Amino acid sequence: MQMQRSIQLPARLEGGPYRLIGAIAVSLVVAYVLVGPQQFSNFLTIGAIYALIALGYTMVYGIIELINFAHGDIFGLGAFVALWLLTMGGFNGAINNPVELAVVLVALFLLTMGIMGLVGVAIERFAYRPLRNAPRLAPLITAIGVSFILENIMQAFFGPSPVNSPQIFTLNARFDIAGASIGYLNVFIVLVAVALMIGLQLFVGRTRLGRAMRSTAQDREAAELMGVNIDQTIAITFFIGSALAGAGGIVWALYFGYAVFNQGFYAGLFAFTAAVLGGIGNTTGAALGGFFIGFVYVAAAQFGYSRWFEVFIFGILVLVLVFRPTGLLGQQLGERA
Amino acid sequence: MQTRRIGALAVVAVILTGACSSAATTAPASAAAPGGSAAASGKTVTIGVDLPLSGGEFANGDPTKKGVQLAVDQANANGGVGGYKILLSIKDDAVNGVHNPQQGATNVQSLVADPSVIGVVGPFNSNVGAAEIPITNQAGLLQCSPANTNPGLTKPQYGALQIRKAFPNRINYIRVATTDDIQGLAGAEFAYKDLGKRRAYVVDDTETYGKGLADVFVKQFTALGGTVIKEDGAPATTTDYTPLLTAVQGQNPDVVYFGGVTATGGGLLRKQMAQVGMGNLAFGGGDGIVDGPGNVQGSFIKVAGAAAANSFGTIAATHDIPNASAFADAYQKAYGEQPGAYSASAYACTQVILQALQAVAGNTPQSGLREAVRAYATNPSNKFNTQLGTISFDQNGDTSQHIISFYKTDMSADGGVGNWVFVRQQDFGTSGSSASPAASQ
Amino acid sequence: MSGRAARRVPLLDRLRDASSSHRSISSIVTMALVTALLPIVATFPPFSGFNPQSVWVNSFADAGVYVLLALGLNIVVGLAGLLDLGYAAFFAIGAYTYAYGASPFSGNDFPFWGMLLVGAFVAAMFGLLLGAPTLRLRGDYLAIVTLGFGEIVPTVFLNADRYTKGTNGISGVYLPSLLGYQFQFTDPWPFYVTMAVIITVAIIAIFRLQESRLGRAWMAIREDELAAASNGVNTVSTKLLAFALGASTAGLGGVFVASKLSFVSPDQFGFTVSFTVLAMVVLGGMGNIWGVGAGAFIIFIIQTVILKQLNAFLAGTPLSGIDFLQYQYLLYGLALVAMMLLRPEGLFPSARRRRELHAAEEAEEPTAPTGALEGAGQ
Repeated sequence: MQMQRSIQLPARLEGGPYRLIGAIAVSLVVAYVLVGPQQFSNFLTIGAIYALIALGYTMVYGIIELINFAHGDIFGLGAFVALWLLTMGGFNGAINNPVELAVVLVALFLLTMGIMGLVGVAIERFAYRPLRNAPRLAPLITAIGVSFILENIMQAFFGPSPVNSPQIFTLNARFDIAGASIGYLNVFIVLVAVALMIGLQLFVGRTRLGRAMRSTAQDREAAELMGVNIDQTIAITFFIGSALAGAGGIVWALYFGYAVFNQGFYAGLFAFTAAVLGGIGNTTGAALGGFFIGFVYVAAAQFGYSRWFEVFIFGILVLVLVFRPTGLLGQQLGERA
Repeated sequence: MQTRRIGALAVVAVILTGACSSAATTAPASAAAPGGSAAASGKTVTIGVDLPLSGGEFANGDPTKKGVQLAVDQANANGGVGGYKILLSIKDDAVNGVHNPQQGATNVQSLVADPSVIGVVGPFNSNVGAAEIPITNQAGLLQCSPANTNPGLTKPQYGALQIRKAFPNRINYIRVATTDDIQGLAGAEFAYKDLGKRRAYVVDDTETYGKGLADVFVKQFTALGGTVIKEDGAPATTTDYTPLLTAVQGQNPDVVYFGGVTATGGGLLRKQMAQVGMGNLAFGGGDGIVDGPGNVQGSFIKVAGAAAANSFGTIAATHDIPNASAFADAYQKAYGEQPGAYSASAYACTQVILQALQAVAGNTPQSGLREAVRAYATNPSNKFNTQLGTISFDQNGDTSQHIISFYKTDMSADGGVGNWVFVRQQDFGTSGSSASPAASQ
Repeated sequence: MSGRAARRVPLLDRLRDASSSHRSISSIVTMALVTALLPIVATFPPFSGFNPQSVWVNSFADAGVYVLLALGLNIVVGLAGLLDLGYAAFFAIGAYTYAYGASPFSGNDFPFWGMLLVGAFVAAMFGLLLGAPTLRLRGDYLAIVTLGFGEIVPTVFLNADRYTKGTNGISGVYLPSLLGYQFQFTDPWPFYVTMAVIITVAIIAIFRLQESRLGRAWMAIREDELAAASNGVNTVSTKLLAFALGASTAGLGGVFVASKLSFVSPDQFGFTVSFTVLAMVVLGGMGNIWGVGAGAFIIFIIQTVILKQLNAFLAGTPLSGIDFLQYQYLLYGLALVAMMLLRPEGLFPSARRRRELHAAEEAEEPTAPTGALEGAGQ
């Protein structure tokens, strides 16, 4: 059980990282052959967004074992914050000057992720921390409550309909490769997601705070005895997880060009599924799970079964868990676990 | 221990019911519509409104509710109807933000139990209707839906007699919207004949209205000789349509037809078509996407933005209604926004109820008003002058009005914000219901 | 009202101390009193001005469905400690079972009373179907699988439209009749009394289960599955029975709701139903049968009566300009958060559970035994 709670690193996986990288490479090739280059790009893009949300889910779960149902709505709020910042900044169309675009994007990411991180910390402080020693399901119910509150606040400010977001990335900046027309924005989204994931791995694996997070996840009491500030560590976890969801919201607003108040609920549901599929608590697994769900969605659309998408997702989930009860990359647990 | 808990349960129950019931005393007054001078006599009757008014469905329900409110405010400002001042009793049938048949049934139970209620405008969703009609049918309370299109709610060949089982021949449910089969059919005719399109890609939102519309479109478009490349279902929760579009891109569709409303994805689908390079294709839908100009929050043209160009839609009403703009102006003046897709229908429903009241109020005691209004409104020989034209209701309660008007988007209209412009209209009077009896199963 | 409750105390106290058959009698007496008192309370002046008695009774009958659902979920979550986020699936299966058993769509017209049992049985079978592959799963892995099941079932009812009429739903489902008396849409009383009887039977059955060998096995598994197994508890059949019995209770609720509404459609059984019922169980006080029932009743009334009437309630006050219908989510969310912060163990935590909680707190310090089955609380 102790292991299940921990935020695991790929290096500690059975078989080592090479086996994992090999498996990912083979999966990507199979996916490419199955759906073709254009859909391949679609799946990587939507998968990157699910992966960013799933990371926060899995981190929060890893450290306090809470299914944070409000996490999807943090993503939704992130899209609105990005939309709002861009609108306030007076942007209403594509920025063609690459230097200006880069500056705006950096500022947008820093601001939005910072704001969403603080929102996450505030939610933890008021809705979850008082319940840290309460029965397990109590914070789960407050998480559902917080989700309702966030959605209603977004609806009150932005209305119940989709709100258009300025798309500062030129959508028709595309390049042709292998018979497909790929947008630079798609490439940018995948790169941003991968960069943030690598950054997260380095942070968790190499820094003092990351070590504090891992030790808190493994054994809170022992970590405290060793001088780890538990409250601070949990707050940082929420900050990072929420900031990543905020990054998901930004790329959402840039890519789809809109936000709607309840978009986070289903996105959150699928991200949670992704986190479990990958082995909950495991950040690499969550990212892979996100891409996997993106793939199932795209494949269902490609082959004309979009109506049955959820049945596929959850059907696959059940199958995976039947054979690997702790997800794809979760630790194999003993009976007692 | 346990008894104390039982006591606590009882006390909580009492406190709760007490809390609600103290609300009760003020309920009738608060339900009154604001504004308007009371009828001299001080007599009042109530019109019930049952719509989804919370969560995402607020986008549908609120402009519809305002349509009712506008009609009632205007009537009261003119001194009431038949000596009565009109009050509104507004009910929300959404629970957790989603329309809920059980809540709808509860709402009409309470409207039925209020003797001052002479008619109900609503519901919005066909599923809610299926749970409400049995109750209002048994009670003999008139219901007029501004938006339901499922033929199963009225037509015997679709099983409607089971829904109005208590009194199959005493119609109490009428609607100003035509059934799915007519609009889907009209959309297919327009795409095939007017636009000359031959290869359609059809997407529905998996809900009653959208699926019904799409199924009839597919049937008729194929019957005309066109090819339907694919019919996909994308639930209202869908946010990313690009994989669906990419999948058909190689098969060269020349028109995309959407069964659904803007709120269930119409605008987003159109927007994303432009994103994947299908922006030049024609796009069509039913009245659910013909929802006002580009400066209305949440309208198809607003959501889709510039991509809304080259879209067509159908509305189940004549275009050349005298005073059509008077309604839009009055609505704009009252609420500071453009009417929504179903505002005019709700306004028309209210007009029907009020005109029925006007006709019977003189020779009916107040206690008999509910039945008199129901009998008058559902009598096929009575005609009503409404915002949707002059209409009456057939022996099943469906509107006699089968004229479909076709609209196209013009992004230069309304000073550049974009709006729907009228193309032509056609009477589908008899062909509609007979051509596709198996629609919307 | 409170006076009456106070007078009942000694009698019930004596009843409670008696054997389990007396427990059944006390349940019947309590339910009979509650059933009789609720409509009477509804007729007194402040109440009667709000809604006529018949409308109140109708709401009570609907609330009863959720009481039943909460009681059933309490078996799975509260007693056996298996977190189920897709409970609405069994509710849907019960409802569709009745729609197939008694509607013009299927052409069948089996009596409601028999279909109650059939609906419960069919739902129980699906409970086993879900339970079997998930036996190895722990805690939140189980939660996501149940959540998935809860999404799959309505999606199948929605998309298999040849067999279910899809999104249109099945309408004209037959109302119950009893000894020649046909239930009517406009008369909620027979539904109310029927629901009260179903709940009473369910409560008695659950009390007996809880005190049986099976009930003790559930609690043993909830506390420590390995220890339970090594003490001879068959964890496989014990967990499966929890799923099956919990599901069958939801099946009863489904049959009832289909017959009362005379209509079933897939959108009645979304995940919000599952979450709502879970909130009812946790707020009421997991593991406490009466508390869970009260929690369900309170949340249902808050959601479908109080929040819907806030506009009317605050008319004439300075707040009357606000459309509270639009803030239902916010208020409901705040209520959930506030209630959990104030009473993390639920409004009416069971005595046994409170003991366990405090014992657990002491025991937890050195080992942090966050076993997977703590899904339902440590």
